[in-house]
Amino acid sequence: VLRLPRGPEGCSRGFSPTSPRFQALLGGDAVTTAAAQGARAALRQRYLRGLAAARGRPTRFCLRAGVRVDAVFGAADVDAVAFQVDALQTPLGVQAAALLRCADVLAYSFLL
Amino acid sequence: MNDWQRKSPVDWETYVNKMVKVAAIEKHEYEGWVLTVDPVSASIVLATFLENEKVSISVVLGHAVQKVEILKEGDDEMKQRLSYIFAPEESKAYSPEELEKRKNNLKTWLETNHIPVTEQGESGRTLCVAGVLTIDPPYGPEECSSSNEIILSRVQGLIQGYLEKQQ
Repeated sequence: VLRLPRGPEGCSRGFSPTSPRFQALLGGDAVTTAAAQGARAALRQRYLRGLAAARGRPTRFCLRAGVRVDAVFGAADVDAVAFQVDALQTPLGVQAAALLRCADVLAYSFLL
Repeated sequence: MNDWQRKSPVDWETYVNKMVKVAAIEKHEYEGWVLTVDPVSASIVLATFLENEKVSISVVLGHAVQKVEILKEGDDEMKQRLSYIFAPEESKAYSPEELEKRKNNLKTWLETNHIPVTEQGESGRTLCVAGVLTIDPPYGPEECSSSNEIILSRVQGLIQGYLEKQQ
């Protein structure tokens, strides 16, 4: 039985207590955390705009062991667990919709 | 987690707007201008300008990064060029009076529909809905921000419908 949406990695439904985001949330001294949070927000915003720009574009994914697949970029999830793609071209044919695990993807690229 | 993923956001920010060479696992190499580094996955977003005026965007996932070498600093012109790549589309330019009118019309409409809204920020230019969502000029669905995706999508839908009825 496939239960979607998937929670973050591991059995728990909460986010990972060892993740840098949570460590930052616990706080360090106010000055460095404010600067770090400002940087984090700016970087993340640009990244999210990048994901929005990728949507609907033909994308090449480089997976492990030299495997390359072409697909149309759909979406990414908030915890960077998987990518959703449309029209995934595989040796077995074209999959209308598919999930690619982030852990399997090394890089992806598209043209603007 | 590798060394790259362990860096702080302030560290990652120092790579933005620089030309870098990324060495990834399985002997892959990527070169390009750093647009951003995703703080969640430490993925590096690189831009390469092609001859036909197109831009190629490559994203190297954080877990695959072995080494990042800075090759060049971007000058001001390059920084501007890079910042435009993902910039939100330029919307129609509204005059200050038009923006004020749009804001007040939207505020009134929201209040009529029993949605709590206040004005915030310098000169009250930002609308704040129910304390959890903000709307910046020019007060369209794209200018809504919230950390709650359900409220965000509901309010965006409402504003979309409101703007369509106005046409």
